[in-house]
Amino acid sequence: MPIKNIMVAVAGGAASIITAKYAIYLARVMSSKLTAVYVVNERLLQDLMRSRVVVDIEARVYEKDLEEQGKLFLERIKKAAETKKVEFESVVLRGLVHEEIIKKAQDTGTCLLVMGNPREITSRKEVFSDEGELLFREAKCPVVIVKNPEEVEKLYKEIT
Amino acid sequence: MERISEYLQKEACLMELKATTKEEAIRELSGHMARVGLVNDEQQFIQDLIEREKLGSTGIGHKVAIPHAPTQSVDGFVIGFARSSAGVDFAAMDGDEVNLIFAMGTNPQELSLYLQMLSQLSRLLRNETFRNELIHTAKTPEDVINLFKKFEKEG
Repeated sequence: MPIKNIMVAVAGGAASIITAKYAIYLARVMSSKLTAVYVVNERLLQDLMRSRVVVDIEARVYEKDLEEQGKLFLERIKKAAETKKVEFESVVLRGLVHEEIIKKAQDTGTCLLVMGNPREITSRKEVFSDEGELLFREAKCPVVIVKNPEEVEKLYKEIT
Repeated sequence: MERISEYLQKEACLMELKATTKEEAIRELSGHMARVGLVNDEQQFIQDLIEREKLGSTGIGHKVAIPHAPTQSVDGFVIGFARSSAGVDFAAMDGDEVNLIFAMGTNPQELSLYLQMLSQLSRLLRNETFRNELIHTAKTPEDVINLFKKFEKEG
C-alpha cells in the first residue's frame, strides 16, 4: 500500500531540522505528501500560570512569540521541501502537543509520522508526562524516530 | 524534554548569597553568572530580570524565587542558583523570605526550552523534601546538582 501522507512533528531547533530533512527525504522517495506540524504548547503556559511562575500578560507574550517562531520554522522547512520537489503543507496548532499532533494525523489520513528522538526516560512519571514519549506511544499510525544526523544529511543531499 | 541537571553548572551555583533585598540578590547572582561566562552583558541581564519583576514578584512561595526573562544578554538558555541562609525579602506571594533563588534567561531562539525548564523547575520545587535538602543539606555545588539528578529521577 503506498504511503500517501507523511507527517513530521517539529518543535524548532537544530534537531528538528534534521527530523524535517529525513521526512523530506522519505516523502520524496515515496512520492508522498508531507505535512509539517508545530504545536504551541498551551498546556505548558497554563501550568506555568497556575503555579504562578509566569503572569498572564507574560504568558500571552510567550504564546505569541512561540507561534511566530513556529511559523518561521515551518517556512524554512517549506523552502527545503520545495527545493526537493516535495508536495508540502504546514500547520501551527495550539494545545497539548501530543494530542494535537495525533488528532491532526488522524484528520489528514497520515500513514507515517516522523519525529525526533525522544529523550531517555529516567523516571516512571516521565513515561506519562514527556510529550515526545506520549506521541510515540499513543500515535495511531506507524512512527519513524529519526537518529544519526550525519546519515540523514547524506541521504538528504542525495535527493535532488 | 530536557532536564535542569543538564543545564545547571556547578560554577553557576552560589552557595552563600550576601544580598538581603530582591534587587541586590538579582545583581549578585547575575554578576556571578557573568563571571563564570553564562551571561555576556551583565547590566542588560539585570535590567531584563528587574523589568520582569515589575509585572509581579517571581517569589513563588515556600522560600523560592525564580527571577527569569528572555534576554539578548545570553547566547542560549542559562540558569544560575543562589542560596541565602539569612533569607532575602523578595516580596514573595506568601510573604516569607526566600532562601532559594534560581535565575533563568534565554535568548529568543530557545524560548521553548526555557519554558519547559521553568515548568520543570517549579514542579520539582513543589517537593518539600527537595527544598529542605537544598536549603539545609547541600554543602557544595556538586551536592546541588546531585540533588537535582536524584529528584528528577524520582519524578
